[in-house]
Amino acid sequence: MSPLLEIDKLSVAFDTEQGRIVPVNEVSLNIYPGQTVALVGESGCGKSVTALSILRLIPQPPGRILGGRVLLDGRDLLSLSERQMRQVRGKDIAMIFQEPMTSLNPVFSIGDQITEAVMLHQGVSRGQAWRIAEQALDDVGIADPRRRLREYPHQMSGGMRQRVMIAMALSCQPRLLIADEPTTALDVTIQAQILELLRDLQRQRNMAILLITHDLGVVAENAEVVGVMYASRIVELAGVEDLFDHPRHPYTEGLFRSVPKLGNLSERLATIAGTVPNPVHFPSGCKFHPRCDRMQGDATCRDVEPTLRQVCPCHWAACHHVQGYAQAPVTPVDLSHRRVTQAVATEQPDLLPLAKQEYRS
Amino acid sequence: MSVAAPSLQAAPGVRDSAPLVRVRDLKTHFPIRRGVFSRIAGYVKAVDGVSFDVHAGKTLGLVGESGCGKTTVGRTLLRLIPASGGSVEYRGQDLFAVPRPQLRRMRRSMQVIFQDPVSSLNPRMTIGNIIGEPIQVHQIARGKDRDELVASLLRRVGLDPAYASRYPHEFSGGQRQRIGIARALALSPEFIVCDEPVSALDVSIQSQILNLLNDLQRERNIAYLFIAHNLAVVEHFSDEVAVMYLGRIVERASATDLYASPKHPYTISLLSAVPEPDPRPQRQRIVLGGEVPSPSHPPSGCPFHPRCPLSLQAAKNANAKDTVEIESAGARLRVLRICQQQMPPLEQKKAQVGHVAACWVSQ
Repeated sequence: MSPLLEIDKLSVAFDTEQGRIVPVNEVSLNIYPGQTVALVGESGCGKSVTALSILRLIPQPPGRILGGRVLLDGRDLLSLSERQMRQVRGKDIAMIFQEPMTSLNPVFSIGDQITEAVMLHQGVSRGQAWRIAEQALDDVGIADPRRRLREYPHQMSGGMRQRVMIAMALSCQPRLLIADEPTTALDVTIQAQILELLRDLQRQRNMAILLITHDLGVVAENAEVVGVMYASRIVELAGVEDLFDHPRHPYTEGLFRSVPKLGNLSERLATIAGTVPNPVHFPSGCKFHPRCDRMQGDATCRDVEPTLRQVCPCHWAACHHVQGYAQAPVTPVDLSHRRVTQAVATEQPDLLPLAKQEYRS
Repeated sequence: MSVAAPSLQAAPGVRDSAPLVRVRDLKTHFPIRRGVFSRIAGYVKAVDGVSFDVHAGKTLGLVGESGCGKTTVGRTLLRLIPASGGSVEYRGQDLFAVPRPQLRRMRRSMQVIFQDPVSSLNPRMTIGNIIGEPIQVHQIARGKDRDELVASLLRRVGLDPAYASRYPHEFSGGQRQRIGIARALALSPEFIVCDEPVSALDVSIQSQILNLLNDLQRERNIAYLFIAHNLAVVEHFSDEVAVMYLGRIVERASATDLYASPKHPYTISLLSAVPEPDPRPQRQRIVLGGEVPSPSHPPSGCPFHPRCPLSLQAAKNANAKDTVEIESAGARLRVLRICQQQMPPLEQKKAQVGHVAACWVSQ
């Protein structure tokens, strides 16, 4: 199977007052139809800039794509004209953002905003577009869609707005959805609803999802392939089970250990010393070496930046001190066989054993 | 409608002599004003009858989703927002009755750490002045002594004392939160309200701050009211946990007990909704329908009844006369009549001593 989207050594730079920064450095990633690929990392690691660069949504200047290719079905998006690119955005690739309040226009009704994209991409009449929009709201589980279409964003709650964003993004049946922190601003019970909805819609439409998040729980339950980003590079890439069972990169390892988990009552949390480096002054060599406890003082780590190397059939890590194959065929990475959507139980569990005797029979 | 007095026996392991902070039936109602004459058209009952104790050197975790009133509880009990009812006792003294000058003295020992380390530090003040201001205001030290105190506080929270002359924008989120903690520590408090202290931070920084707060508690016997929405963080950090829903506590127990055997269907749903960092999840998930209702129009009876999976399941076994049809999130559901009509009291459940929950159905 060939990938739907192939990111090949993408590098992006920004010119700032303090100098040039490179928030995305030789990032390579393949996304196959129907697959969910997650990019995880802490703030400033470059995951959102990667996502925006795919759609060429970074402001240029100050931003600049330094090199690489982004192939959608073999067609390089980076070489398209702005006019051709507008055909891709919203139609082949749609995007939803973290903050549903700021990404919806407050002065237009929900209906106006959804139908605008539908009329543009599908060339249908106004009446048909409203019917498609109504169906789109219905698909994302919004009750009474006809009335809701006439409402404005401020009349809705955060969860409802995120549903509207999803409806809008999916109204033109995109093949790839880029979801940038789609549930970060939402409460856990609403987050569960939204992720459930995304999984359902993905199954029905065989849509691929690039999920950008910092939440390892969200990654574990939703992605098949995970790329871990640190200081503008992918430092580890693997199928989700491999990654969670055997993290190879010391940063990934540290990240997993420092997350408090339900039911884990140890007194102290593991930590990663220091802070994420400032992109204006990235450390030399491996960018993680000042915080790394694996090989303190190793000259190779200090001077030479490691590249991704294959450590087992579907696991890559960028560290000088992981055992791997001698010479690795690294890019582009093929993880197409990773398509196991894990079963997160959808039916409600039986709560009655909790109830008082009189309610149990 | 009368509500039975909540049982306030502390959970085992949490109990010691008198509590440091005693909150009883705390209420904070915000008026909704309408029209030209700002007529009061109703109230948002942000906090509606909350009771708990915080013991010296211990942590009470307060969890709930946005809008449940957890932040308002923290601010009301520090008298940063006027209360509409109830009482707060600090070391046996009624905090709502003490006159201003005395309140000011008491505030020394009660501090607060905020969620947003950007907006809670004055951008025009140096770090040294931010931390030194309370020291000066409360006349603890001045001049050189003050600077030494500031330096030792900075060292204690893991920052270089030379940072005292810098400004907040020069620091990262985690460092700013350390500054916020140093400021709270400046007056050697016995009680700190931590309002979502780590939710704005990255995971690797979050654990550093949690460990710091933990160490400080042990060193200085500080009591925390730890307000957060992240259930795993609260479990890790708290001795006792209270779960809030729409301005009320719906369940309270020792942390071990609450997480091992939650009794309230809302707590159960909340716990099941936390995504597990494990690709092969063990837990079954309950996906709640609908959203948290507005506190200006809370549902009748038990405020959780329109979303409650337990009442829904119990209604299937009950006599038709004991059930009632309701509309929730666009669907018609049948729930128990009692849940829709009467507010359940916070009562002892069949579990450990001190495990209370407000639910008609659960045992």
